[in-house]
Amino acid sequence: MTMTSVERVVKALRGEEHDRVPHIELIHDKKVREAILPGASYEEFIEHLDIDGILLFDKLFFWKHETVDEAKGLVRDQWGALTHFSTEALGHPVERAIKSEKDLDSYVPPDPDEEWRYTALKEYVKRWKGERAIIAHATDVFDIARESFLGDVLYYESMVENPDLVDRVNQIVLEYNLKSIRNQIELGADLLSVTGDFAMTKGPMVSPKHTARFLTPATQKQVELGHELGVPVFKHTDGNIWKIIQLLVDTGIEGLHPIDPMAGMDLAEVRAKYPNLCLMGNVNCGATLSWKSEEEVRQEVKECIKKAGYGGRYICMSSNSIHSGVRPENYVAMVNAIREFGKYPLELD
Amino acid sequence: MTIELFEKLTKSIIEGNHEESLRLTEEAIEKNIPANSILQEGLIPGIKTVGELFSNGEYFLPELLVSGKAMSRAVDRIEPLLSKKEAFHIGRYLIATVKGDIHDIGKNIVIMMLKGNGWDVTDLGVDVSPEKVCNAIREGDYDIFGMSTLLTITMPAANETVEAIKEAGLREKVKIMIGGAPVTQDFADRIGADEYAKDAWEAVTKAQQLVAGAS
Repeated sequence: MTMTSVERVVKALRGEEHDRVPHIELIHDKKVREAILPGASYEEFIEHLDIDGILLFDKLFFWKHETVDEAKGLVRDQWGALTHFSTEALGHPVERAIKSEKDLDSYVPPDPDEEWRYTALKEYVKRWKGERAIIAHATDVFDIARESFLGDVLYYESMVENPDLVDRVNQIVLEYNLKSIRNQIELGADLLSVTGDFAMTKGPMVSPKHTARFLTPATQKQVELGHELGVPVFKHTDGNIWKIIQLLVDTGIEGLHPIDPMAGMDLAEVRAKYPNLCLMGNVNCGATLSWKSEEEVRQEVKECIKKAGYGGRYICMSSNSIHSGVRPENYVAMVNAIREFGKYPLELD
Repeated sequence: MTIELFEKLTKSIIEGNHEESLRLTEEAIEKNIPANSILQEGLIPGIKTVGELFSNGEYFLPELLVSGKAMSRAVDRIEPLLSKKEAFHIGRYLIATVKGDIHDIGKNIVIMMLKGNGWDVTDLGVDVSPEKVCNAIREGDYDIFGMSTLLTITMPAANETVEAIKEAGLREKVKIMIGGAPVTQDFADRIGADEYAKDAWEAVTKAQQLVAGAS
């Protein structure tokens, strides 16, 4: 049984029979790509390693950024936050869009219907539709509303002291995201990813009660739109999510990434408790992919597939992304190991 | 009566009610209760409980932040009333996220907990070079320098920072602490830090131990 990459990814998410464990990533850092295939475009890199899909990370593909100070790496993101770019592909807001609730009265959100946002997506659809998975993306509402709009302190304090402010900001972001998701899927995306951390190494950022009140309802609306438009959806959050994992599952997601090993999440334990969920990730990009040997990478991939691959609901990925600190040879070893050990029926014992 | 007021103050900190903590502090001042007693018997037991609740996973970031706000509002009110000897000042703490790392939430929580427990904190920010750290230590009068690294790839920068402090002849001037998701006691020992803290509350208690040990 052979099938296309997109069939493989979608079937893994839906728990349908397929030929081998698929592989995708949220982000491939440019430095790592360049070391593996010098001078190549992202598309050529994806084809060179025969990766099963391409994820169009919204901050990199669909967002508008204005340069403020090139030398200092400062840009203003489309929501109005001053963002600092360091060594990684994604920046970090240093000054928020909203200083007080009053600023919201005159706030004009970005327009998700602007044509230019979807240029790359259209090219990928033309190049790969029906072959490789084209993955729509939305940074989750909690992430944007907290990081770009209010900042950690005001957002968290407002959850307790001024929930209406959190609701107002969340709604602005949600409306944008829903339009953006609709546009991406109607233009040809095959599945939807919603990323944004809800947890830290020790546990959730906010209590399960606050998670259910402020975080997961917006995630669920995005998941429901994906389903309405006929595509499966996965959610990414780092951290130890045991206290909120049921809330995440209840949003209706088909897949969950990355079952963070650095936060003590165990792939086998999650597999045992959620047999109908497609598990994604878990190859440790903080340690194994960054500084261990290629053989250790190979063994870890084998172990991940062994823990989560039986039954088909597993997509092998790194535990976050292929960031700038990943050894290029280790990433190649990971891709090769997925091919070596991931053929169904699995024979790993 | 006074004990009851202290209990209410402690409760207002634990519940993160900054209006109540300020109101009760005013009430205590009007009743001529010494500022140092308000601090030691009303406020500090509250923030200590908050730290423990966070450490035990019963409190999360929102609860921690509103409690920190309730504490700082009350402390701001009584600080001018404390004598120099009583001043709410355990020590001076210099803090930074290491070079190459732009994550600041963990560092900011530690800052809040330190301030709430009487530390004078100077924040150098994120992505801070070893040179900048050395300059700050040289020019300031700090008891402790604390650094955080959230990424495995920036852990070597923590080592470089410690080495730079040694090379600059400043190692004896400050105690060094380290924390962050990928950091372990073993790593802290390897790079020669004085203490490793696994969370914000441990950062506070270990900082206090370091200063107590130094005196």
